[in-house]
Amino acid sequence: MRTPAIAFALTLWAVLTLNFFLPRLLPGDPLHALFDRDTANYVADDALRARLAAYYGLDRPLGAQYVEYLLETVRGNLGWSIWLNRPVSQLILEHLPWTLLLTLSALALASLIGIGLGAEAGWRRGSRLDRVLVTLSIIATNAPVYVVGMFLLILFAARLDWFPLSGGRTPFARYDSPFAAAQDIAWHWILPATTLVLHLVGAKFLIVRNTMVSILGEDFMLMARAKGLREIRLKRAHALRNALLPFVAQLGAQMGMAITGTIFIETTFDYPGMGRLIFDAVAARDYPVIQGVFVVVALVVLTANLVADWINARLDPRVEVK
Amino acid sequence: MATPFDTTRVGAGSPRPVRIALRDLRVHFPTASSIVRAVDGISFEVRAGEAFAIVGETGSGKTTTARALLGLHPRGTVQGSIRFGERELTALSEDEWRALRGRHIALAAQGAGTAFDPVYRIGEQIAEPLREHLSLTPAEIRARVEALARQVGLQARHLVAYPHQLSGGEKQRAMLAMALACDPDVLIVDEPTSGQDVCARAEIVALLRRLRAERGMSLILISHDLAAVAQLADRVAVLYAGKLIEVGETRAVLESPRHPYTWGLLNAYPNMTTTRDLRGIRGELPDPAHPPSGCRFHPRCTQVVEQCRLVEPPLVETNGRWIACHLGGLQTLLRARDVRKTFSLNGADAPTIEAVRGASIEVYEGEVVALIGETGSGKSTLARLIVGLEQRDDGRIELEGEEMTTLRGEALARARRRIQYIAQDPFESLSPRLTIAEIVREPLDIQSIGTPSERDARVRDALAAVSLPTTPEFLARHIHELSGGQLQRVAIARALVLDPKLLIADEPVSMLDASEQAKLINLLKEIQTMRGMGLLLISHDLALVRKVADRIVVMRRGEIVEEGPASRVITAPRDEYTRALVRAAPAFSAEIGD
Amino acid sequence: MMRADETLFGGIVVALFVFVALFAPLLAPYDPHALVGKPVESPSAAHPLGTNDLGQDILSELIFGARISLIVALAASALTVALGLLIGGIAGYAGGWVDIVLMRSVDVLLTLPRLPLLILLAALLGAGLPQTIAIIALLFWPHTARVMRAQTQSLRQRGYVRMAQQFGGSTAYVLTRHIVPALAPLIAFEWVMAASRAVALEAGLAFLGIGDATAKSWGLMMRFALNFRGLLMGERWLWWLMPPALALTLLMLALTFIGVGLEKRWQPRLTRHV
Repeated sequence: MRTPAIAFALTLWAVLTLNFFLPRLLPGDPLHALFDRDTANYVADDALRARLAAYYGLDRPLGAQYVEYLLETVRGNLGWSIWLNRPVSQLILEHLPWTLLLTLSALALASLIGIGLGAEAGWRRGSRLDRVLVTLSIIATNAPVYVVGMFLLILFAARLDWFPLSGGRTPFARYDSPFAAAQDIAWHWILPATTLVLHLVGAKFLIVRNTMVSILGEDFMLMARAKGLREIRLKRAHALRNALLPFVAQLGAQMGMAITGTIFIETTFDYPGMGRLIFDAVAARDYPVIQGVFVVVALVVLTANLVADWINARLDPRVEVK
Repeated sequence: MATPFDTTRVGAGSPRPVRIALRDLRVHFPTASSIVRAVDGISFEVRAGEAFAIVGETGSGKTTTARALLGLHPRGTVQGSIRFGERELTALSEDEWRALRGRHIALAAQGAGTAFDPVYRIGEQIAEPLREHLSLTPAEIRARVEALARQVGLQARHLVAYPHQLSGGEKQRAMLAMALACDPDVLIVDEPTSGQDVCARAEIVALLRRLRAERGMSLILISHDLAAVAQLADRVAVLYAGKLIEVGETRAVLESPRHPYTWGLLNAYPNMTTTRDLRGIRGELPDPAHPPSGCRFHPRCTQVVEQCRLVEPPLVETNGRWIACHLGGLQTLLRARDVRKTFSLNGADAPTIEAVRGASIEVYEGEVVALIGETGSGKSTLARLIVGLEQRDDGRIELEGEEMTTLRGEALARARRRIQYIAQDPFESLSPRLTIAEIVREPLDIQSIGTPSERDARVRDALAAVSLPTTPEFLARHIHELSGGQLQRVAIARALVLDPKLLIADEPVSMLDASEQAKLINLLKEIQTMRGMGLLLISHDLALVRKVADRIVVMRRGEIVEEGPASRVITAPRDEYTRALVRAAPAFSAEIGD
Repeated sequence: MMRADETLFGGIVVALFVFVALFAPLLAPYDPHALVGKPVESPSAAHPLGTNDLGQDILSELIFGARISLIVALAASALTVALGLLIGGIAGYAGGWVDIVLMRSVDVLLTLPRLPLLILLAALLGAGLPQTIAIIALLFWPHTARVMRAQTQSLRQRGYVRMAQQFGGSTAYVLTRHIVPALAPLIAFEWVMAASRAVALEAGLAFLGIGDATAKSWGLMMRFALNFRGLLMGERWLWWLMPPALALTLLMLALTFIGVGLEKRWQPRLTRHV
């Protein structure tokens, strides 16, 4: 029996191991290329090269490299950025908050909307509202997120000039108060967040709606109705409460989806989060940064899974809490 | 249209007020291609304090009826009238229904396992209807829930548990507690015992009896568990394909069912007292979207006549029993009354032997009646009298309502076709000179039925029905080339070829080996079930007839001394002689080998 | 009935795209790589959708882009389904520890944030269409494996499968004669859905700058469009950015609708009257 904690640790270990072995095993030997004068990826700067050599430790035996890598990662050392010549961990600390802001807020909003609409649509299955919403969510889920983002960007930022074209906040701005700072950030946050919400809400809506429909066919709903309970109580206390269970179970997967969406959105809106970071790093072939982002993002998603499991255990009395 | 009702024997005095009355209730569900007529015009009444059972198989409409009584079907699917006291329920709005449900009419649904919301505790769910319908303080609610739990035999620890932590029996009790929370006038219980083990079933039935006695509410029991129905219900209604086909007092219906379907249903039902093997009803349950024309049961009924195919029979009352059958229920194939026969030996002062002294016997459609007795009891004589091989001195013998002796000519020939006889010794009753084919064809030849080729076809069909070969080689054999068992089969085939309604078999297997006996008895049973024939089986072997008979008639010295359902006669014989016979019957026990 | 329309609509649209892709050289007015005009020209008779920042004809890029999308969709989805069927089928059929080991690995893969992983892989493997196809398949196969495993497991329990085993049928026989044919509708469904997602992901990867820079993918078109400084001034985005975006969305939706229609056909939902 795997408890959530063990699953977390195991998967994290798998992530780190994968992270370690991929660059070393793949054809083309990208790591050695960094130190090889004849390749295009050769790092000219001596100091930088020395740092990278120390971090990767390619002259040592593989086992030792592995252990060293694990220890360093636990200590917070994620390598050194080739492109920007700074510690990777520092870069990540700068960019992570933006991504979290975007992702968590969008997840929350999408959940609220998805649950609200999904419950109504499921309750009134077959109605016009239901059919329209289902069609819309299929379209929303399948429309590529960057297309939606671009569309919003063009319409609301370029055409109507309601929102800024890019960035997390106005560059070089000075704020009088925290409130002013919050306002500016919110201003820049709206379009990317809307895009992400649109991207996520479809799937959430469908889960809740479909679960509602199947729950309405359950025996205990019939019994509840036979007891003469009011519609509100039937809908909320019984149907929705049960419909939430699969929804919560999906939260971990939703986080993964949100991260994926965020990567695209940040590149579309030039938003200074992890997605932007990894995008630039790809362009620059900055392996340490890419690897660092991968590990941190994995950690975030795994944490979200853990939280989702915990919530699920709270909500569902059939789950044994260890 | 009048409805079946009966005064219930509840305490002394006048009949109680009617609680629920259905009149011509119809529930039709439209599907993509057709309309499913789940319930198609049923009417009955349930009085205060009465326990009324509705039995039927899958698709009969039982659960649909239960749901209709709570208004749980979508708008537009229910027609007819449901009166609850003075109120007409079919005219209620959803809000009015909600006030009624759980409060005055409660349902304990089928499948206690899935009746509870898995995320709330049991106690909370029992309290829900209290909170919804009654204005009580939280303390009062808690007290009431605890009292309910005690009443159904649950403890406090059950109340704080979640549904998945309770066993099936415990959930069943909890569901009853939930249904009774607001002390309803009518409790509808849908399949309370299905899916439970034997002990749990007994407990639930006992619980329901106690609750009824304590609360005096009306109980509507929906079930296919006839044992539970027998123990709980005052009256029972049998539902088939959305229609009521028999309604009456429970004990009477279960002991002597009158409708062919009810009879078939009881036969198909295993229980501890029956020793006879199970027998199914031929044919299949009808498709609710395309029910048969006329009487819904007619494709499977063995006594079907033309009218049954065309016209639906109304539910008609006779002596407190309501039956929907054009023929008035199971047909009496044979009725013999006060038959007497005395043999006198030659000579003036010769002694006489009263072989049969005022014997009366009946055989119903599709029934197997065993006539047992010792040698010399008169059973074979009686059989021959019935068939007409001997002339009786006195008494009436009616075959399908027609008195046999008054028949002449064509009518007599027809009667001869409908009743056939199989004797004990096949070598005696089958001619050694004729071929098998000729033997089996003889009745057809005598009565000039059909063309020669048609007769040959019928011969082959009859031989196939008794699992004998139909090759020309076999047909050309003579009786000395066949074994005893095969010969008896030939005799049966010959009896079948005229398509009789009543078969009288006089010790058909006593001359055969044990394994042949079993095969032949099974064959008789099979044919009889398929064709709906009545079978009067004469035998001295009690152990053998146990396996086959519906009723047993015991004869001694020319008189009938006992008669009744096979299970009762064997397990609880009333007559001394019968008891002796039962004791003497061979039984396999550990004490053998002395 | 929406059901019939969905599959029909999807089928027609996809067929249209396939047609365009097949006959691209005939339909496109120019070679998409050729510099046939001035940079960023507005639409004209010579160039119905104008030209991009290099002077290449956008309409031709669009038409040839269909090839990339469809090739990747087909190959990646086929690979996804093949891998999913192989791993999931083995797990579901064999059961026991084989099942546990395989499915735990799949679980771990599913939990990982795969886009970053894919970006990492793409960066390490370099650009190119085969790499893109492989990477996409690597992203999607765990989910397909799960689905295949569940279905295989349930099929394995069926009476007729057990009877075949009882008669002495080898594993290969049972698989080819009973299991795989029974899985056919599921395979079709998964294939179509995987194709839809593959189209999206391919364009997405191109959009991010990962993948083959020489292949005229719609995603790449959009990337270059967005990189252009003056895109949002004037109407340029309308004929440069929107066409690939619309084409992409349309193709994906069409494939999804086919999938939804297939799903409804082989997975009828039971409704009850409550």
